[in-house]
Amino acid sequence: MEKKVEVLVCYGTLCHLMGGSDLQLLGELLPLDLQGKVDLKGAPCLNFCNEVDNGKPPFAVVNGRKIEQATVKKLIQEIRVELEKK
Amino acid sequence: MKPFHIDVNSSQLSKSGNNVCGDVVLSRKVKDEQRTIITVSDGLGSGIKANVLATLTASMAMNFTVEKQPIERSAKTIMSTLPIDSRRQISYATFTIVDIDNGGETQIIEFDNPAFILFRKGKLLDIPKKDLSISLNDGSERKMLFSQFTLEMDDRIVMVSDGVTQSGIGTTQMPFGFGCDSLNRFLSEQIKEDNEISAHELSRKVIRKANENDIYKPQDDITCAVIHFRSPRRLLICSGPPYNESRDKQLAQMAKSFNGKKIICGGTTSLIISRELNVGIEVGMTLDNSGLPPKSKMKGFDLVTEGILTIGKVAEILEKLHGTEVYGSGPAVEIVKYMMESDEILLLVGTKINIAHQDPTLPVELEIRRNVMHKIANLLEDKFLKDVEIQFI
Repeated sequence: MEKKVEVLVCYGTLCHLMGGSDLQLLGELLPLDLQGKVDLKGAPCLNFCNEVDNGKPPFAVVNGRKIEQATVKKLIQEIRVELEKK
Repeated sequence: MKPFHIDVNSSQLSKSGNNVCGDVVLSRKVKDEQRTIITVSDGLGSGIKANVLATLTASMAMNFTVEKQPIERSAKTIMSTLPIDSRRQISYATFTIVDIDNGGETQIIEFDNPAFILFRKGKLLDIPKKDLSISLNDGSERKMLFSQFTLEMDDRIVMVSDGVTQSGIGTTQMPFGFGCDSLNRFLSEQIKEDNEISAHELSRKVIRKANENDIYKPQDDITCAVIHFRSPRRLLICSGPPYNESRDKQLAQMAKSFNGKKIICGGTTSLIISRELNVGIEVGMTLDNSGLPPKSKMKGFDLVTEGILTIGKVAEILEKLHGTEVYGSGPAVEIVKYMMESDEILLLVGTKINIAHQDPTLPVELEIRRNVMHKIANLLEDKFLKDVEIQFI
């Protein structure tokens, strides 16, 4: 079976406020061709917000890569990048 | 914290056609002396006039008892203070006074109300009563009943007005009314069915039954007050990381060893506890319309939520709430529901400040956790009469 792309979305206070609440909808907004290929999970807080060098919230992690200022569009792009790698 | 909790609740229905109930139930906790006093009074007649008589009687009885006045004197004062009914030419209101102290030592004085009912381990218990007669200034004599006993865990005291025992009077099913025996049987059945039944629920069931007996047209004011002596329901709310990381372990141990319901509010807090206790967190993906981050699951805890936004919402709900029924959905509403179902609430507050939360470019202002928790503690104590303890770590 094909390995799914792992997406971890931060549900911490800061990420939620800075637009992370939209990311909860990612599962519903996935384009048809990506459905079933993504493993979407939430995290209580990814602890990226504590360091300024990490960039700006909201944060997400796609296959272990940190994504700053994540949006649904950006995450879909990143998922495609991961799928093409294979 | 105390080993037991006294749960007092009552329900009432007014006589059909009246907006105001002529029975009055008052309860007060005397915090310094750790006493709980409950007074029940039924005023002569019904409507506003009865309510005034009953309110006068119940409040006088309450205040005299708080001040530890001798009962003969209190009763005399009450009876000579009540105004004389213009039609019936008498002044009259019944009363029952219950005074429970810290160790469950109970004194009950009854005057003309239906006898109180004591349930122990689901069974009716007969308490010997002493006659107390007092002579009034006009030469007449009044008889009161005095009883004294010690409450045991899970005891229930039920008090009703004659509107309950005489409900259904004149109907073909019960020409002489519901009666004390049927009421006792009804109560035993309810307690047998649900041994955990709350004081509120039991009193509701009694007045519903009385209303039914009266074919949904109460013939008199109906009142039922229930006192339940039970172990306290305890709730722990952990929020915020400890000020110093070296105390993370202590926080986790306190959370683990707590006996009662447990809630964690805070992403980082839940991660700390998860790390220290080595239990996984499962973040929920369910969406609701609360606008708050979703709740998570963690073994050993009843609820895990986000921190400052959620507790801010909790404070807001508590501020607006009337009564104890909470409607709606979302993590904050769930927390409030847990609070309403508890007697003793421990707020364990970590005081570390998340620097990122102080960023001036944030779209909303994030409050300091410590202040919000203080506000919640005050609301729970003053408005909802909960025993609240707040600990900073």
